Amino acid sequence: MNGDSGERVVTRRNALQMGAGLGVTSLAGCLGFFTNDQNVEIPPLSEFRGSGTLVEGRPAPGGTSIEDLPDLSGDLALYIGGGEGGIYYEFVEMLQEIYPDFTVHPNDNDSASLAQTIVEEVEAGAAQADVFWSIDASSLGFVADNDAYDPLSDTAVDSVANDQFVGDDNAWAGVAGRARSVPYNTEELNESDIPSTVQEFPSTDALQGSMGWAPTYGAFKSFVTAMRLIEGEDATRNWLSDMKEAGTERHGNEYAVSQAVANGSLAAGFANHYYAMRVKNQQSDAPIDLAFTEGDAGALINVAGTLKVKGTQRGELVDDFVRHLLSSEAQEYFATISFAYPMIDGVEPVGGLPTIDELNPPDIDLAKLSNLEPTLNLMDEAGVSG
Amino acid sequence: MTIREQVSRTVDRGTDGDDSAVDVGLTLLAAAIAAVLVLPLTWLVVDAAGLGVRAFELAVAPKSIDVLVRSVALVAVVTGASVLLGVPLAVLTVQGEIPFPRFWTVLAALPLAVPSYLGAFAFVSAFGPQGELADLLAPLGIESIPSVYGFAGAAFVLTLYTYPYVFLTTRAALLSFDGSLVEAARTLNTGRWEAFRRITFPQILPGITAGALLVALYALSDFGTPNIMRVEVFTQFIYARHVFARDYAALLSLQLLTVSAIILAIESRLGVDESGAYESSSHRGSIGLELGAWRYPALLLPIVVSLLAIVLPIAIFGMWLTTGGPGYQVGRLTFSWEYGVNSAYVAVLAAAVSVLVALPIAIASVTADSRLAALANRVPYVGYATPGVVLALALLSFTLDVFPAIYKTVPLLVFAYVVRFMPQAIGSIRTSTLQVDRQLVEAAHTLGRSRLNTFRTVTLPLILPGVAAGAALVFLTTMKELPATLMLRPLGFETLVTFIWRVEETGLYGQAAVPALVLICISGLSMAVIVAQEGR
Repeated sequence: MNGDSGERVVTRRNALQMGAGLGVTSLAGCLGFFTNDQNVEIPPLSEFRGSGTLVEGRPAPGGTSIEDLPDLSGDLALYIGGGEGGIYYEFVEMLQEIYPDFTVHPNDNDSASLAQTIVEEVEAGAAQADVFWSIDASSLGFVADNDAYDPLSDTAVDSVANDQFVGDDNAWAGVAGRARSVPYNTEELNESDIPSTVQEFPSTDALQGSMGWAPTYGAFKSFVTAMRLIEGEDATRNWLSDMKEAGTERHGNEYAVSQAVANGSLAAGFANHYYAMRVKNQQSDAPIDLAFTEGDAGALINVAGTLKVKGTQRGELVDDFVRHLLSSEAQEYFATISFAYPMIDGVEPVGGLPTIDELNPPDIDLAKLSNLEPTLNLMDEAGVSG
Repeated sequence: MTIREQVSRTVDRGTDGDDSAVDVGLTLLAAAIAAVLVLPLTWLVVDAAGLGVRAFELAVAPKSIDVLVRSVALVAVVTGASVLLGVPLAVLTVQGEIPFPRFWTVLAALPLAVPSYLGAFAFVSAFGPQGELADLLAPLGIESIPSVYGFAGAAFVLTLYTYPYVFLTTRAALLSFDGSLVEAARTLNTGRWEAFRRITFPQILPGITAGALLVALYALSDFGTPNIMRVEVFTQFIYARHVFARDYAALLSLQLLTVSAIILAIESRLGVDESGAYESSSHRGSIGLELGAWRYPALLLPIVVSLLAIVLPIAIFGMWLTTGGPGYQVGRLTFSWEYGVNSAYVAVLAAAVSVLVALPIAIASVTADSRLAALANRVPYVGYATPGVVLALALLSFTLDVFPAIYKTVPLLVFAYVVRFMPQAIGSIRTSTLQVDRQLVEAAHTLGRSRLNTFRTVTLPLILPGVAAGAALVFLTTMKELPATLMLRPLGFETLVTFIWRVEETGLYGQAAVPALVLICISGLSMAVIVAQEGR
């Protein structure tokens, strides 16, 4: 517990609170400082769970409960990636309700912009955020590569089950995963019809003229970037134009792809795994299931994760905050509300998905996915504009 | 000749009077303040210059040209539509011989009291996909409605909230021109339309042009509406790129400023001969339009406009207040009154600083009679005409490169507000200073009072209403300012406006009800201040 919160040096990140000096939080903070006794009450597990057919009847999650973690108290400045900001931020609000002395000051924008901002601010000596919660590993990698982070403590990252989801030097820790997948219509295809590598897709007869993708979507570009890193530029360009020639249908986003698969207008598609889960959670008998390729870009797992911004005076609080995001309650929350892959042992993914250990993701450095420009050029050349 | 010599010569020329030492001091102070206020904008040039030759390539790149054309087209459409809506409404309320003319006048001016981004927000939630209207129609089997997003939607919303500029200026022109001229023309058997075209129209043209200029500058600089309606115009483009392509954003900002300057130049070139335009007379617009029975159907125009512009947003926000509003996805944002306190806190600071800075400039411009003082009075209006997103970008860039200690701090935010809104304070202090009888001041001097003492005991009490009105205007406009607040606020410093913005971005609309209604009230109050001031 951060008992020394009243004695910290005044930094810019403290100074910003002076702006809010007339605010209610400061008053609450002062009272909290004098009594130094938070009235902590952790809500029942059901509060952390989503609803719907896929979620019912799940076992209690394992891992470390919030009850066993140090209390959070003080102010925390958070840059939060906006993509799923609504979902993530709701969890932050729950934490603030649990800990009356804990206040988060958020700024949301898209993750790539926030990463750029952090690097510029750290270089100018004007850092604003204590912690960065990004929706993808590439923006975390960008901040890490530009030396704008402080390492997280070992205790904070220990519970992440897979080393691939922790940055080098503890630069960042994954908190929720999403896998590339192949949603397919179970009335049109069997799982065995889906090849085990994406390279075979264009030449698979069963898939001719019946596939869909959403090339403007960020996750699709990450997927193509991964393929470029693994297979090289020429192979990737060829694959894209072959897929296009095979009549792959363009959609606006991957939820639309998954819906088209479920209603039978597509036999299969490329999409992040959770879109099929959303379709199924609303309509449990929808004829849609997921296949995963093996060891190639089609099986890429990307993560949302957190990073400690360089020079923060609240490093200890950041570590404790990250531990809360990796608690059994938080992981259950991400798994059942956004259908993300949990990052800790003891929490199962929703809806009979294979566990993360059973997946076979390619062995690449997720941080390298931030180099998008060659990918976009390549997509243009293949006539598949992002 | 060096600049310094030029300046001192100008000062000498302008201040031949007895109290030149004090006047020079005052004038130099005013000039220095004015210079500091426009200084940050020069950083845009530094940023864009970093691009070198690429600056030219980027400026003429297809993407930049697209944005330019779209921005200019939006300005043109909104300005044209505002004239088509504002002029008939002005003619109707002044000459239409309608019942309760005052009521209809207030009704037609009222959309000005809703910040256009709130209007856009309400329209998107009402008519957007999954909006309130779609929900109402769904049971009837209507599954999709045309999208409100895009150019047409933005033009529609902007027109709805900016036409009152044309309405008010045209009305003022109609009220002040000599109705007996029209009567004379009618006596000479000129047709009603012919009389309007040949007599009335030329007389009110300066009024229409003045209103159209305000509309054009507003449409060009507005940030919230194009963003919410997803139209890529200058402001939207700059905001989307300011983080990762600062130099490009600076270049676009300079292009945007150039377009503003061109609009101003066109207006001054049109320069309609105003000599005969505002001839006041005893016939204060008393000429009737003789609409006959048509006067009642004609009232549908102000009714429909105000239903859309006023009733709809208030109804939507009010509905969210009672029902909690729609949540389009999982997630939650909790409103706290602390945000309102924060808004008021920076607005009070901005008002106080603005008045302190505006006082010497306004007084110098009235009393010093020098060219420099006149210039110092005019220069701050550059800040007023600068789009908020451009000023914010310049300040972000300047502080990151040169002055990181104040990057995204409350003082920087207040500085931005002062640059943007202080001219309102100069205007109202200047007006009241002009009304002070110079002889009173002379008399105080003759009686041996010092200059400062005279100011404190004679001038200040007399101009206090003007100072108060100026402070109120700065306070109220700061409360609802969007782009600079969004870009320059310290992390964690949430205000009513930034909270509404987050709610809009995440699609969790319900929580915006309270701050949106508070902002509409505040905006209404600022209109009341302006009206009260003009009534004096």
